[in-house]
Amino acid sequence: MFEKISQFMDEKLSTPMAKIAEQRHLRAIRDGIIATLPLIIVSSMFMVIAFLPNQMPADWGLTQFIKTNQFKILLPYRMTMYIMTLYAVFGIGYSLARSYKLDGLSGGVMAEMAFLLTIIPKVGPTASDAVKALAATNPDLQAYVKSVPGGLLIAPGNLGSAGMFVGIIAAIFAVEVYRFTETKNFKISMPPQVPASVARSFEALTPTAIILVVVSAITMWIGVDVHSLMAKVVAPLVSASDTLPSVLVIIFLGMFFWTFGIHGWSIVGTLARPLWLTLLDSNTAAYATNSAIPHIAAEPFYQWFIMIGGAGTTIGLAILFLVKSKSAYGKALGKTAIIPSIFNINEPMIFGAPIVLNPILMIPFIFTPMICAVIAWVATNLGLVNRVVAIAPWTLPGPIGAYLATGGDWRGAALSVILIVLSVFMYLPFFTLYDNKLLKEENGEVPAEKLA
Amino acid sequence: MKVLFVCSLGMSSQIAVDALLKEAKKNGVDMEVSAVSTQEFEEEVHNGWDVAMVAPQIRHRFSYLAEFAKEANVPCALIEPMGYSPLGGPKLLKQVLGILNK
Repeated sequence: MFEKISQFMDEKLSTPMAKIAEQRHLRAIRDGIIATLPLIIVSSMFMVIAFLPNQMPADWGLTQFIKTNQFKILLPYRMTMYIMTLYAVFGIGYSLARSYKLDGLSGGVMAEMAFLLTIIPKVGPTASDAVKALAATNPDLQAYVKSVPGGLLIAPGNLGSAGMFVGIIAAIFAVEVYRFTETKNFKISMPPQVPASVARSFEALTPTAIILVVVSAITMWIGVDVHSLMAKVVAPLVSASDTLPSVLVIIFLGMFFWTFGIHGWSIVGTLARPLWLTLLDSNTAAYATNSAIPHIAAEPFYQWFIMIGGAGTTIGLAILFLVKSKSAYGKALGKTAIIPSIFNINEPMIFGAPIVLNPILMIPFIFTPMICAVIAWVATNLGLVNRVVAIAPWTLPGPIGAYLATGGDWRGAALSVILIVLSVFMYLPFFTLYDNKLLKEENGEVPAEKLA
Repeated sequence: MKVLFVCSLGMSSQIAVDALLKEAKKNGVDMEVSAVSTQEFEEEVHNGWDVAMVAPQIRHRFSYLAEFAKEANVPCALIEPMGYSPLGGPKLLKQVLGILNK
């Protein structure tokens, strides 16, 4: 009976939904963003370092050193995570072009061009004669006027997560134009005597020209402010993703997929990651300017307070298998699965226990993370724990990652430990049931059924 | 016998790699096994592997990966769920040998 239900759900729900996540454009967006994660992780860590003085004794030499050089320490962050969309767009263009079997490099460059054409540089002001005359009378004003940068200036704001959705659309537009000109042979072809590489560079002229003219016309000559427009459209989505109900829905979906043996987080993340990055980036930017941190549910929130030990908060189950197992299989699994679990890799648990299609373990697998989410949400909302401001490498043991992701808040680490203990207790009754079942089968008291 | 495992980031498949190697050694089968991420698979599959094994949790990406394997003339299969754990060595070995001996 359970098998019939799970087969139905697998055929009608999880597999079709998983296929949607494999849609070409969604996949390209996901791959492009994932390519930027190493940048984001490393520059996140720099941010944490830059703000360590908040946690350290004020009289330490190290604290003083960091405080005085804070701007310099933050500069790498300013040119990496702060302008993440600039990097992501290339990756998205590359991936999408490759998926069409087109040249990835051309796709990436054209995508980047389309995106950058939505960024309007401003000309730095030049002081008029009247202002100059006024400055001559006042040394402070004079110094100020001299320091105002002239020439072309680009504001970095829209190069970061604020411009993410425009970047995604620009990349897709560019590659689609590229594909159109390729398939319709809408390109300048050279006679066969011309060397292939020269001919190819001429072929790339057509899509490039189309993209350049179209995007520039929209953003620069007609003057449509695509970034503001997009921000208005996306704002409700972004703020909706930062609510407890949506957090719970996201967790439920992710865990649901896993119970069918599909990588739930990868699928959910495909759609949610641009939103998560936008939330995180606002937090990080606020943190960098010592302002109040606005959002709660960026990805690190899930990583460190919910997916402890991996999806389903399986750290509790891993500990139970290690120390409380009576069945031989459970003992063997516990010994081998505990180390990966500490580093948040839990496929051994998911496929080994297994949790996949296991009616007993599926229940705590889905509701334990949801309960942790509620607790962590409330704790963060009440200000008991800092909001997340950095992406820490997610294979770090839970409390350490929680400490780093919250910008060095030891209370984050404490919450992580509390939730680990909680996870142990929430899995306990189901674990006991399941372990006893394994034991009975091993002792031949019950005929072994298929476990998966 | 050269076996290439692929999973999302190349991390969890490492566990299956170790399980398979252990089991192969126990049974006296000579095997070289490696694990890569989905991003690396497209290129790596052309480097002389006898069979490609895809992690079960990315089965929605199987057809996408299988295409690359086909281009490289490498048989490609989805790892059976119960084989994908530190204790899944025997199942993995059976599955791999089954494919190679076809």
